[in-house]
Amino acid sequence: MRIYLDHNAGSPLRPAVRDAMRAFLDCGPHANPASVHRTGQQARRELERARERVAALIGAAPRDVVFTSGGTEANNLALFGGASPDRRSIITTAIEHSSILEPLAALEKRGFGVARVRPDSDGLVAPEVITGRIDHAIALVTIGLVNAEVGAIQPVEAIADATRRAGALLHLDAAQAAARMPLRVDELGCDLLTLSAHKLGGPPGSGALYIRPGTALAPFLLGGPQEAARRAGTPNLPGAIGFGVAAAEALSRQDEETRTIATLSRRLLESLGGAIPGLRLNGPTERRVPNTLNLTFPGVLGETMLMALDLEGIEVSMGSACAAGAVEPSHVLLAMGRDAAAARSSLRLSLGWSTTVAEIAAAAETIPRVWRRVVAAEPVTRAPRIPVAELR
Amino acid sequence: MSARVLVAMSGGVDSSVAAALLAEQGYEVIGVAMRLAPDAAPDATPRGRRRGTCCSHDDFEDARRVAERLDFPFYVIDLRADFAARVIDNFVREYLRGRTPNPCVMCNREIKFDRLWDRAAALRADYVATGHYARIAGDRQNGLRLLRAVDDAKDQSYFLFNLGQRELARTLFPLGAMTKQMVREHARRLGLANADKPESQEICFVPDGDYAGLVERAAHTNDLRAGRIIDDAGRMLARHPGIHHFTVGQRRGLGVAAGEPLYVRAIDPASGDVAVSPRSGLTAAGLIATRVNLVRPETAHGGEFAAEVKIRYRHRGIPASIRLGESERAEVRFSDGGPAITPGQACVFYRGDEVLGGGVIERALEGWGTEG
Repeated sequence: MRIYLDHNAGSPLRPAVRDAMRAFLDCGPHANPASVHRTGQQARRELERARERVAALIGAAPRDVVFTSGGTEANNLALFGGASPDRRSIITTAIEHSSILEPLAALEKRGFGVARVRPDSDGLVAPEVITGRIDHAIALVTIGLVNAEVGAIQPVEAIADATRRAGALLHLDAAQAAARMPLRVDELGCDLLTLSAHKLGGPPGSGALYIRPGTALAPFLLGGPQEAARRAGTPNLPGAIGFGVAAAEALSRQDEETRTIATLSRRLLESLGGAIPGLRLNGPTERRVPNTLNLTFPGVLGETMLMALDLEGIEVSMGSACAAGAVEPSHVLLAMGRDAAAARSSLRLSLGWSTTVAEIAAAAETIPRVWRRVVAAEPVTRAPRIPVAELR
Repeated sequence: MSARVLVAMSGGVDSSVAAALLAEQGYEVIGVAMRLAPDAAPDATPRGRRRGTCCSHDDFEDARRVAERLDFPFYVIDLRADFAARVIDNFVREYLRGRTPNPCVMCNREIKFDRLWDRAAALRADYVATGHYARIAGDRQNGLRLLRAVDDAKDQSYFLFNLGQRELARTLFPLGAMTKQMVREHARRLGLANADKPESQEICFVPDGDYAGLVERAAHTNDLRAGRIIDDAGRMLARHPGIHHFTVGQRRGLGVAAGEPLYVRAIDPASGDVAVSPRSGLTAAGLIATRVNLVRPETAHGGEFAAEVKIRYRHRGIPASIRLGESERAEVRFSDGGPAITPGQACVFYRGDEVLGGGVIERALEGWGTEG
């Protein structure tokens, strides 16, 4: 049995999504939604139905939802499209996903000023630190509503008031928040909001950006009038259909799934904490989504734990992978003030819609056993003293 | 259940084929690629600002392809900090002392057959395997023996003299009985893109071959020892910017003109003097080795034994008598005159095909008398 505890990287496809996509692949309508003929019209109807379902997940009007190739494209569209040339400053946090941090680094090269606010030791950003910086030079504030690595829910409502008053845009990356907490764009007060289908049991390669009406956003992909001229290119219809069904499923089951996940997650944390002396939970205790457990395992390398658990059938993650596939210590934990050694000893376990009681029971039994073996075989007290950087 | 083996995969032909052979033989293979060398400085990469922490996507692509093809798990593991502390640091220090280290020997000793063992135990692997060309024979009762590879041109047993019985019992060298030609044929059969790629001769963490530059970047300026180039009569021929530019036995790049070719005979880290002499001045009677390891201790016959000794990887080996001393030291006396001795390199003792052991060359023995 393989136990999948990496939902923050991507959830398995929900059965209803698979059925809907299979039905589409089998029966169509196979045509371009922009085509004038009947099959084209039917394809368009499917696309719009999917848009309604995605919009319902966040309490938005369907026309304000633009389909993209995923969360990364949505973030790029929000940042490159929303960085207005007459306002030259952007505020973000130090714990964002690379699809935020790298576009911002590119904008910085084009002359934008980028402020990266650090979180507290729980991974929470103090709203006053951000609001204190907001003035009429700010084009955009972009912040991850739920942090992917520690599950912290950022207090964004206070920030929304400040951006509105200053005429700046507020972009929320809600890829990790969708289906894990109620989302209403009007309550959040955001102008732009990123969603990703595969984080909630939809297909990968499908995402969306919510754009509040009246928001000036320059399109990023050019080449056609699709998506109300906000995103050119023939839409990924099977991806959108899958996304729509995933959103509908996640919404209708949200209460039940969230309750189950919270129970299982608490149970797992309690058993691991009892069996592993010195185990530490990273992230806030209150303002958090319950599915994410970021844990520092004392005395071991997270890299080794990840491999050893994988060979035992338990799939977890650590920080992010580099181009060659090596795991790097989490920049989020480092920004929260953990030292490099603690970051290297930390793993992320993320539960989701498919997680079962039996899986959590097995994980609670296996993880301490693997930890004891790894501590004995490869204790990190043998870690070297000279940092690589010194030899540059 | 079949034995589990952790295979160190570099992405090169040899280790890829080694892993494939083990998988095909029914071992439960776990492929690991090691990140060892520090990342190039950001401005040294052609694309300018690449993310400073990231290695190249292509680095382990072939290793990954083998793993995918044969469906075994594959991981990239990050041993850069260990490598920096245990291999590169030693490399720099040795050059600053006027010696010429062999980082591959250090890497085998400190990383592949040490660090990787911890990892293997953590992953419940029974063996560690590499793509080295060497063989293991015998059994635990009568002693495991480390042997040269069948392919003499590829033999890498020189780099493995640090292995002991404990390591050999848990090590596999699938390529030891194969020729390079056979390995390349396997690689083509496996569809490896690098099957015909020429082999790299450079040290992995000095891809441009500029050892002196690496030493200068890593060391404090105060540690660099400039000085004189002097001849046998003690006359100064030139000044040099640092002893780390020189290796005993080196001829090219001395920056001095003389009637006959001159070679580096000795490097004095205290004064900074680099002594050069004609080839005839370079012979040594033997050497003192430190950190000596015996693969099969019973081969030492009470501390004195005869063996063929290789003093460089590509050295053909010459007869010598070896006397073991205190604290892992040994005195090696060549039966006839020996070649220039390069401190810091490994000297490895052979009897026929068997590697008896070896050590790190501390210094040459001058003349024919007893050690002074």
